[in-house]
Amino acid sequence: MELSITGTNAITYPVVHVWDWRVAIYLFLGGLAGGLMTMSAINYLRPGKKCGPMQSVCCWQIPVLAPILLSIGLFFLWLDLERKLHGHLFYMTFKPLSPMSWGAWIVLIIYPLMILYALAALPDEVKVRIKNAFIKNTADALAPHLAKLAKFNLVFGVLLAIYTGILLSTFVARPLWNSAILPLLFLASGMSTGAAVMIIVAKNKEVKLFFTKLDIWLILGELLIIALLFYGHYTGDAAHQAAIMPFFNSSHDTFPYFLSIVTIGIVLPLAIVMKFLEVTGKHTDEVTGFGLFLMNSSAVLVLIGGAVIRFALVYAGQLSGYGYVMM
Amino acid sequence: MPRYAMVIDQSRCIGCMACVVACKRENDVPPEHYRTRVLEMVQGTFPDLTTEMRSELCNHCDKAPCVNICPTGASHHEEDGTVQIDRKKCVGCKACITSCPYNARHINKELGVADKCTFCQHRLIEGKKPACVATCVGGSRIFGDLDDPNSEISVLLRKTSHRVLKKSIGTGPNVYYINQYPTRS
Repeated sequence: MELSITGTNAITYPVVHVWDWRVAIYLFLGGLAGGLMTMSAINYLRPGKKCGPMQSVCCWQIPVLAPILLSIGLFFLWLDLERKLHGHLFYMTFKPLSPMSWGAWIVLIIYPLMILYALAALPDEVKVRIKNAFIKNTADALAPHLAKLAKFNLVFGVLLAIYTGILLSTFVARPLWNSAILPLLFLASGMSTGAAVMIIVAKNKEVKLFFTKLDIWLILGELLIIALLFYGHYTGDAAHQAAIMPFFNSSHDTFPYFLSIVTIGIVLPLAIVMKFLEVTGKHTDEVTGFGLFLMNSSAVLVLIGGAVIRFALVYAGQLSGYGYVMM
Repeated sequence: MPRYAMVIDQSRCIGCMACVVACKRENDVPPEHYRTRVLEMVQGTFPDLTTEMRSELCNHCDKAPCVNICPTGASHHEEDGTVQIDRKKCVGCKACITSCPYNARHINKELGVADKCTFCQHRLIEGKKPACVATCVGGSRIFGDLDDPNSEISVLLRKTSHRVLKKSIGTGPNVYYINQYPTRS
């Protein structure tokens, strides 16, 4: 067929190119922040931990890092807005059918929870360095409620991570995104990257090992969900089948997508192997240099994998559609 | 209250593109953007060829994904069934552009807001037809009120076989196409 069109817009023709790296970064950091909320809460609440109360030895930096990363992500999302000075309009209405509207309002719930949790988790040696009396007194007052705040953070971390996938999955016009599996992939990826940052930041060996073990299962789940996502599209209609083709076509136009699936196929299994080597090896009280290298480098691989998943899906999703010439 | 819709009789389109020009002129659409387009599709193998001219625009869907996804309520349904954008409420998040299966939206870079066909709402208020309909020399674009059984489009839709684009997506489009080309066997 020969096709000529008079009146195309560059943003939608020949393919939709609306959202770019800014949205991908937001989705990655949003998922990571959710993962950090949940993982740090798990670290505090898990029975049998050997690192004592969080205030004294465990990684208090994680609850502080979560709102910072979410803020950076939201900053990139704000950069993507065409009318940056009109952001307040998100809060002038609530649209129950709009996932973007939920997202805007959920942030208002999540931020206070994150900040209260971060304050409650501050250890005494950090609190003595705080000069602002209000912050110091608030942190002291919140410390007894740390367990309750951790439970809330565990739940809302899951909600934040899964939300980033729900946002994309509701776009019926973009077959690659329009899958109920996608939120689960973003959830698994968010939790996995959260565990990876826990491994990097934590000083305590027991914490590092616990999250290394946990991350093996999270990555396995992530890989299974990726396979299910592709399988679901492969068995779907023509538009869904076409939506995954960029990942399996190494031609010039689709090479970045092909490369992304190759990268994910290398870094995540490699991370599993490295983690497996570490958790099955002999352990002394101190972390050996090689052990530290295995744990930290596998965690970096997980972060790379998580970022690649967001970038690949944001861009490839916009390539997918029901075409200009469809009856 | 009327329920506006458009019928496209493809057999009457001569591909003059006057609708595209009239739309841009009427609505001050920036040079690099369009609210309506015309597709010219040539199919088959020479000499057994068919040509199809098809005008496309916002379908003003009953279940518009753009209205559902809009976080600020800028994209909304009017009482007359049309989908409109309240520019004062639009933040330019572009979710509506991504959500439209018809690729009927774009960003007006001069204003930083989403933009699309309005069925020339300002003309409807004055009792006029949309600019593309008024200018169509072949009478390919027909506009009217679906709730009026005697309107031209109601009569046309009763008398002819017609279709909507991408019906299976379930958005309930309000731009109808009269079937001209039977399926080739």
